[in-house]
Amino acid sequence: MKEITLGRYYPGTSIIHKMDPRAKFFISLALMIVLFFLNKPLPFLIYGAIMFFTVLSTKIPFKQIFLSLKPILFIVLFAFVLNLFSFQGTVIWAIGPFKLTQEGLFAGTKMAVRLSLLIITSSVFLTLTTTPLSVADAMESIMKPLQKIGFPAHEISMMMSIALRFVPNLMEETDKIMKAQSSRGAEYDTGGMIARAKGLVSVLVPLFVSCFRRAEELATAMEARCYHGAQGRTKLHVMKMGRTDYIAVATSFAILVVIVIFEII
Amino acid sequence: MEKFIELNEVTFDYKINGLETLTAVNCVSMSICKSSHVAILGRNGSGKSTLARLINGLEVPTSGTVTVDGIPLINELNAWEIRKKCGIVFQNPDNQIIGTTVEEDVAFGPENLGMPREKMIVEIDKALRFVGLQDKKKTAPHLLSGGQKQKLAIAGVLAMNPDCCILDEATSMLDPTSRKELMKLVSTLVKDQKMTVINITHHMEEAIQADYVYIMSQGSIVRQGHPREVFDEISLLKSEGLDVPVHIEITQAIADLVLVPRISKAAFTQTEACAEINRICETAYQDKTFDFEKSASESQSSNTSEITSKNDSSNRKPILTVENLSYTYSRETVFASDALIGIDFEIYPGELFGIVGQAGSGKSTLVQHFNGLLRPQTGKVMVMGYDTSQKQSIRAIRKKAGLLFQYPEHQLFEETVYQDIAFGPKCLGLNDKEIAESVEQAIEIVGLHPSILEKSPFELSGGQKRRVAIAGIVAMKPEILILDEPAAGLDPAGREEILDFMKQLCAKGTTVVLVSHNMDDIARLADRILVLKKGKKIICDTPMEVFKSREQVAICGLSLPMTTEFMLEMKQKYPLLDLFNYNPDSCAKAIIQAFHKKKKLENEKVGC
Repeated sequence: MKEITLGRYYPGTSIIHKMDPRAKFFISLALMIVLFFLNKPLPFLIYGAIMFFTVLSTKIPFKQIFLSLKPILFIVLFAFVLNLFSFQGTVIWAIGPFKLTQEGLFAGTKMAVRLSLLIITSSVFLTLTTTPLSVADAMESIMKPLQKIGFPAHEISMMMSIALRFVPNLMEETDKIMKAQSSRGAEYDTGGMIARAKGLVSVLVPLFVSCFRRAEELATAMEARCYHGAQGRTKLHVMKMGRTDYIAVATSFAILVVIVIFEII
Repeated sequence: MEKFIELNEVTFDYKINGLETLTAVNCVSMSICKSSHVAILGRNGSGKSTLARLINGLEVPTSGTVTVDGIPLINELNAWEIRKKCGIVFQNPDNQIIGTTVEEDVAFGPENLGMPREKMIVEIDKALRFVGLQDKKKTAPHLLSGGQKQKLAIAGVLAMNPDCCILDEATSMLDPTSRKELMKLVSTLVKDQKMTVINITHHMEEAIQADYVYIMSQGSIVRQGHPREVFDEISLLKSEGLDVPVHIEITQAIADLVLVPRISKAAFTQTEACAEINRICETAYQDKTFDFEKSASESQSSNTSEITSKNDSSNRKPILTVENLSYTYSRETVFASDALIGIDFEIYPGELFGIVGQAGSGKSTLVQHFNGLLRPQTGKVMVMGYDTSQKQSIRAIRKKAGLLFQYPEHQLFEETVYQDIAFGPKCLGLNDKEIAESVEQAIEIVGLHPSILEKSPFELSGGQKRRVAIAGIVAMKPEILILDEPAAGLDPAGREEILDFMKQLCAKGTTVVLVSHNMDDIARLADRILVLKKGKKIICDTPMEVFKSREQVAICGLSLPMTTEFMLEMKQKYPLLDLFNYNPDSCAKAIIQAFHKKKKLENEKVGC
């Protein structure tokens, strides 16, 4: 139970690992928009090649990248199949009312590739190379201007990082409660739907009670250590945009502008 | 001495359900000097923790005044200033860590104070070095051990540069080794860093190190003074549900037996107690207040009968057999770690079987094999003739072997106590009448009043909740009852009650397996003890064999029971002392006998 890590952060020391999380956030934003403007096979190939070399530079095994695609595999397939049959044009193959067209095949492939690249981009720049906490920090920093209009940027970020901190504890606790109730004869892997749902009550109630207790104790502990919101607070980790960060962000936005201009023309 | 904390007739009430008021702290006055070490003792619910929160400014008194370093506690703003001066370490290691890494957690306090970053880095470094966690800066807190987590909490307080550190039962969830380490840290805090330390605790061994002790009961201070004075009052300590230092208790027992009064406050340390006992025995011998000859012959006859009744397990059939059991967590991954390696032993019916070992020695992994929560990866576990690796026998095994984890009250979930206790019997498929019967019996066994049955388990006190949880297993009428630290976190009186009922169950024929860190309890209660170290069996034998020498205990990675610790010292005076007695009364008798034997030898020599 101890080795669970949240997200799929893959430790490393590459340039991308070391980048400011805010820079990474903006780069992936720009690149994602770029993806939606790409239409022809060649640009997709170039984009894919760029991503290929980026992954190489981070020294993350490609297996990890494919693992990050796994959860959305179904969506990718669904989009692909949906596109296959929903275009008019040269029919390649037909079954009843369903007509597979050349245009459909092209559109479907495009959609599948686009979605996959989208996930790869965000994994490479955010989930795999940035700790969840840095993401939370970046969010706070980016949303900071909104604080003036009463947006609780600091609080949201604090909530995110505390949630991250307690995930391993809660998983351990769930395991322990299930084992304890099993010792009392509860069976979670047998019986029908209703029996199982009832069984869950014996896990969820103690888990919620424990969450509330933890929340209360944690709040007291925070207060005892002089926590009083964002006001007058300094930070141990100060995010600093370096030259590489600025150049990388500028480059990706330049690419975005160029692509947009080309596609519009 | 400069006064640092002053409480003047402080009362604190809180409201339950917005109507009833409950007085947690009642008219308490105390003054604590700078860089002193103060201990506050008392039962669970005596108001100790509320007092800590008042000193730290987490609560504002209903009446009376709290002054810390000249600052009176009046409102929130003030409280903030006081919190800066008084850090606090709480009981549960997990619920006070905020950061996602060690370093970030220590930074939390300084960040809140608005400390400049450069200074913060220096302070964090200093604090982590002090507690010995400087190599773990980037580690995630859930990967630390319980003891390390509490050290982290202390570092988090130190980094804020306070003048005072309050420990609110900070060691109560730790094993003895970590507890000792933490207390060592605390004493350096007082001696080298000139910090004021207020330690709120159940542990008499900790309080004895303090300069001054307060005993609280029902919100008031009932006794205060130097530990030498306070720990001398055996009847007061017992009536407050506290532990009495073993050597003082033995001294008193001897004094009572031989009818020579002991000199008060003369048995504070072990060495002093030895001298005092010697004085008492000598006086009794000279004044002839006690017939040593007669008592020697009496005890000899009773001793032999006891021994024969205990050692007849040899030709009985074992109720639980573990053969060559090994278990590895996260097998076939990079995280693989061996929890158990080639364990063999047997447990016999009606035994009280103890399992001891340091934190992380594999005790809970082993225990989870006893009712099939874990199935053996290699080797075999047989429970009453059932093989735990067979899926179809799991149900039968769970019916016969009841397993209770640490802090079992955390698994209560039903609306009423009755329903919660009935959960197990219901799962076993008993009918309503049988369920009602077993619930009633279980309640009686754990010593709860039937009126509690219709209450919600969540409105009970900690000790009551614990007993309801135990009743939940007892109601299933297991033939083997496995308890993992059943008394953890309870005060001494609560612990005694739980252990008592366990002894009764065992006397009625239930086989009891007890996992515990408390060597005195284990030595006193267990018939045989299994010692684990890093997943391996070191020894499985009677308490006498396990605790026979300091060397042996060191090999096991354990500490000696406090009684044995004292008896060893006493043996230097009386070489013929029988060490293997684990409760104060039998120790007292053994010492009197040893004294008598020594006298007899001396007389013979003179006679020659």
